[in-house]
Amino acid sequence: MKYESQGIAKMYFIAALGLFLGQIIFGIIMGMQYVVGDFLFPEIPFNVARMVHTNLLIIWLLFGFMGSAYYLVPEEAERELFSPILAKVMFWVFLGASVLTILGYLLVPYARLAEITMNDLLPTMGREFLEQPTITKIGIVIVALAFVYNIGMTILAGRKTVINVVLLTGIIGLAVFFLFAFYNPHNIVLDKYFWWFVIHLWVEGVWELIMASLLAYVLIKVTGVDREVIEKWLYIIVAMALISGLIGTGHHFFWIGTPDYWQWLGSIFSALEPIPFFMMTLFAFSVVNQRRRDHPNKAAVLWALGTAVMAFLGAGVWGFMHTLAPINYYTHGTQITAAHGHMAFYGAYVMVVLTMISYSMPIMRGKKAANETAQKLEIWAFWLMTLSMVGLTLILTAAGVMQVFLQRFSEDPLPFMVVQDELKNFYWAREITGIGFLSGLFLYLYSFFAKGKEVEFEEEQLD
Amino acid sequence: MTSDKLQLKRASTSALLSLLNLTILPIIGFIALLFLYQKTESNSIDRYYAALGIKTNLWAAVALILVTGSMFLVGGYNSAWTWVYVVSYFVMVHALFILFATWTLTRSWTGQKLKLSLAK
Repeated sequence: MKYESQGIAKMYFIAALGLFLGQIIFGIIMGMQYVVGDFLFPEIPFNVARMVHTNLLIIWLLFGFMGSAYYLVPEEAERELFSPILAKVMFWVFLGASVLTILGYLLVPYARLAEITMNDLLPTMGREFLEQPTITKIGIVIVALAFVYNIGMTILAGRKTVINVVLLTGIIGLAVFFLFAFYNPHNIVLDKYFWWFVIHLWVEGVWELIMASLLAYVLIKVTGVDREVIEKWLYIIVAMALISGLIGTGHHFFWIGTPDYWQWLGSIFSALEPIPFFMMTLFAFSVVNQRRRDHPNKAAVLWALGTAVMAFLGAGVWGFMHTLAPINYYTHGTQITAAHGHMAFYGAYVMVVLTMISYSMPIMRGKKAANETAQKLEIWAFWLMTLSMVGLTLILTAAGVMQVFLQRFSEDPLPFMVVQDELKNFYWAREITGIGFLSGLFLYLYSFFAKGKEVEFEEEQLD
Repeated sequence: MTSDKLQLKRASTSALLSLLNLTILPIIGFIALLFLYQKTESNSIDRYYAALGIKTNLWAAVALILVTGSMFLVGGYNSAWTWVYVVSYFVMVHALFILFATWTLTRSWTGQKLKLSLAK
């Protein structure tokens, strides 16, 4: 580690991985509830399991992004973090707020939670992904602002590179767009309209900037390719992400009561959304092909390439599949959306955080790369998790097509719950892939503790 | 332009045309690829990539058009299961061909033949 304050990332990564495990366990519980409706009822109702599954995803990814930024920025800015203490204090604030919120979901009925947390003073609860009590949302804003301040001051006082400036832009965007979570109009069309300003502009806007900068950083480190080459790629990727992603929000406005022109705007701009993801694949393949060294951390290289490929498949291909208005008319809100959501989140954001962890964790533990056994286990875990996710996506896609046909396309459309019953076998198969994913995750976590022969390498293989 | 540079340029153009044929310029990309193939000489890197592009796209045509067409013939246009197989299969296989063509394109930029391993 070049700078001592980079070590702060470790606590963020450990928390992220713990919450990731929780997210997957609740995913498995929910998957089971799709086929055994009263599984764990009334202890964990389906709506609560779903809320915990999605909220844990968002929280642990934020922990992952923060940890990644705390590791990356000092090295890019060539100076210690502006305030390591602030980063540590905010870690505990965020972790405390997150754990209390999740426990609140699990232990208190949601309406009662709203009462206890005085939601009526500033009502923000009750919306998908933004279920957090208002007080938690205020906590998130405080943590996000402190994070932006800390990272921003470090960069301002140090070296400005394309990577850390793009990262900072993404982080500021993350904080700013979350503020729409506090706007909760009575008109449900307006509510949905601005709700997407948080959800879409996070995952198909500013998070892409964070992802691209993290990927670029790891690729510079593991390939030794000139920074100038990578920075040029980064400019184009960021431009394409923003050009397509901002007005691409329109693909969520097709059927919520907004004017018809959104069908054109949403279709055209979101049809361009695969381009930045395709360019990331091209970029990753290209720099790996032009690499000047074989880095001893093979697992990190694999995660980096895997991120580019899976993000292209999940966010790019599976997004494009149902983004045009005439197709989306039939597919919106079906299992096709779930298929896209799972693979896109895994490919773009889960994998990029795991790439950063894979690269930086051995360094923070005093090594250049994990030992041979640990890397072998990590590579197995990569394939197990990735192939399970591909399987899960294909099964949900198949289920979605069947759902569309039976529920919306057929001349004799069947009711929603009748169709759900028809999809039971798909849901059982999905549960198996979920268990496969969980096994991969266990293997991944175990790899951190595996002992084995240290990797041999020459100094020129490193940065 | 030296013959080496010209070969490299043709190699990367071939790989690009292969990718374009699989994505936004179907048929047109393939016809251009055939023309480019005629300009190449045997045992050269541009011939290698032009031939690889043609083979990739012929295989893609078989895997995407013939197999999908057969699915419709066997299962019928109005069966839910036909659509389940067709959509899942077509999207996945098409994406894999695009990824392969993308990898090929980045290899052509290095002037080396295709290699799928991460080891140097």
